[in-house]
Amino acid sequence: MNYEMNEEQRIIKESANRFLAEVCSTEFVREMSEDEKGFTPEFWNKMAELGWMGLPFPEELGGAGMSFFDLAIILTEMGYFCVPGPFFSTVVLGGLTVLEAGNDEQKTRILSELAVGNRILTLAWLEEGGTWSPEGIQLRAESKDGRFALSGTKLFVPDAHVADTIIVAARTGDAPREISLFEVDAKAPGVGITLLDSFGGDKLCEVVFDNVEVPTENLLGEAGGAWPVLNNTLLKAAVGKAAQMDGASQRALKFAVDYVKERVQFGKLIGTFQAVQFHCADMLTYADTIHFMTSHAAWKIAEGLPFEEEASMCKAWVSEAHRKLVGLSHQVLGGVAFMEEHDLQLYFRRAKAAELAFGDASFHRERVAQAMGL
Amino acid sequence: MNFSFSAEEQELLEEVRSFLKTETSEALFTECEELGHIYGGKEGRKFIKKFASHGWLTPNWPPEYGGLGTSATLAFAVREEMAYVGTPLVFVAAHMAGPTIMHFGSQEMKDKWLLPIARGEIEFCLGYTEPQAGSDLAALNIRAVDKGDCFLLNGQKTFNTHAHVADYHWLGTITDPDAKKYRGMSLMIVDLKSPGIDIRPMVTMAGWQTNEVFYDDVAVPKENLVGDLNAGFFYVMHALDYERMFPLATYGSLVDEVAEYARTTTVDGEPLAKNPMVRQKLAQMKIELAANRHLYYRLAHILDHGQVPNYQASMQKLFATEVAQRIANTGMEVLGMFSQLTKDSKWAALAGKTERFYRTSVVETIYAGTSEVQRSIIALRGLELPRK
Repeated sequence: MNYEMNEEQRIIKESANRFLAEVCSTEFVREMSEDEKGFTPEFWNKMAELGWMGLPFPEELGGAGMSFFDLAIILTEMGYFCVPGPFFSTVVLGGLTVLEAGNDEQKTRILSELAVGNRILTLAWLEEGGTWSPEGIQLRAESKDGRFALSGTKLFVPDAHVADTIIVAARTGDAPREISLFEVDAKAPGVGITLLDSFGGDKLCEVVFDNVEVPTENLLGEAGGAWPVLNNTLLKAAVGKAAQMDGASQRALKFAVDYVKERVQFGKLIGTFQAVQFHCADMLTYADTIHFMTSHAAWKIAEGLPFEEEASMCKAWVSEAHRKLVGLSHQVLGGVAFMEEHDLQLYFRRAKAAELAFGDASFHRERVAQAMGL
Repeated sequence: MNFSFSAEEQELLEEVRSFLKTETSEALFTECEELGHIYGGKEGRKFIKKFASHGWLTPNWPPEYGGLGTSATLAFAVREEMAYVGTPLVFVAAHMAGPTIMHFGSQEMKDKWLLPIARGEIEFCLGYTEPQAGSDLAALNIRAVDKGDCFLLNGQKTFNTHAHVADYHWLGTITDPDAKKYRGMSLMIVDLKSPGIDIRPMVTMAGWQTNEVFYDDVAVPKENLVGDLNAGFFYVMHALDYERMFPLATYGSLVDEVAEYARTTTVDGEPLAKNPMVRQKLAQMKIELAANRHLYYRLAHILDHGQVPNYQASMQKLFATEVAQRIANTGMEVLGMFSQLTKDSKWAALAGKTERFYRTSVVETIYAGTSEVQRSIIALRGLELPRK
């Protein structure tokens, strides 16, 4: 066992941290929350130049051939800085799904463009039912004349408004798991995209498919056989979100610890008060367990080992621990951080959004219960 | 990072597992329950001597002192296996005194004590707490006076849990009453059969016994002083960092048993395991056990890198013991009315385990440094919060 990163991983972490500290201030994050697109091409291209988009994809597809663990390191730093834009949608939701489901032609075409920052992807999964189960996917893809026609409404699709390609999970049969994946051009006739007003600081969309025609060759993987791929994507995305929460936890903890070392009340630094110290100790305990649960799950994925149980344990634990950590940071910082101008509120919003994304704690506890044979 | 045991470690753990399966007995488990899993009882000694003959009691000690020279990770893993099965688990000699002797004792002391400890032949009893010195360990009163050929001890200890079954006292005593706080205490090894020692039982709500120990002109040989005179507080803090390693697998086995109970028990015509609340609660315990396991093996990682755990040990103790209490309570919730029946009851479920764990778990967040002490250490040492 080894609980430390190796030299190479440390270098990835430190260089990502240095880069983001320079280009991703919280002023920029706030600006991008207000901005309709939610990112700038300059920022996007800089990340692409560093090779981040292609990081987890094989070299022969234009990627860097690095592991999911390495990707999780980048996501952690992104969480620390609240990085805006469609990186997660493109690389984790879109790219990893294409890598697993696509044929050689699809992988080569989509991922080589993705890797250089020329293609933005997202994944359209949820619908009105709001659940991550196969039954929640009701949008129909009807086969006719060698094409598919998609009709229905997808919800909570991240970054669809800036995506070039939307991977759509659609129902191609009546059996519960008869789900297929389609590569759909976001500009195709019949695709209607509307940004949803939501509080988390990210960009979630409604995407309406009105008899959208999709050629058969855009089917990713076998018709009706997409559920195992989707389930893997869900779990990897859950661990990726946890990695972002890992980084965000470090920042929220730092806000609190820095503050209690300089704030004076009753003639003393408030960090000398045990009530405050205990909150801080609990935050560090949350932060460390968040980090280890996330690292373990990411390591399992990277090593090609079965990761279902670890991924669900990770998302269940991190979702709640991170929310509690941010809550304690608020308590320690007092009224100061209730002000809009304090950056902790950015983390507060994202903590809840991340908790809800890709299955909340109850959802993943149920998965763990199944793994326990209950 | 890497979260798997090496092939070598796996292999050794397999051997340990099969030994624990074949060499344990009901008599051993019963004694363990009655003693609260401390080492020193008759059955425990019989079992542990055999177990230790493979080097498994102190696997990470060097071979010349009776170990196998393995990683600390392996030693931690062995302890988890023991905890899961329910063997003696709290070893003062092997896990606290021994490492301190190895770090700070003289060569004579190492030669005299380490091999018998590694073989499981002797057990120590922690002698820190006094009526006025609980969390504030530096407030000790017990005095050792240098009489030239020996130390003469007078005073009182309390909550000394191993005293009635151990062979020696690992005693913290004042040797310089005029010194500044933390600078006048020494550690010494005292034969518990020495004339002038009076051990009186204190019975806990968990059913097992702890003790108060009275010292009336007890003579202790000079060579039993551990390390330097008046450096005891430093050694005790060091030893506490070893003591604060908490394999939670005892409670892990309860989670597994309660899960099995839920699978096989029908309530209102449905298996209890189908109840969403039961599923959520048991899954949460599984998850918290997994989180604890990381904090636990991080300590082994630190030791394997030649360092002594610090606030990380406090964090693991804090986390593990709070999880222990939640597990005990969850067990009571899942078993419902039946959870309160003791093992002698005709209707007892899981042999009365849940109520027993529930009672025992109360002390987990108190002994070896309360949760409050641990949180202070995490804040002060881990986050470097200001002291004043």
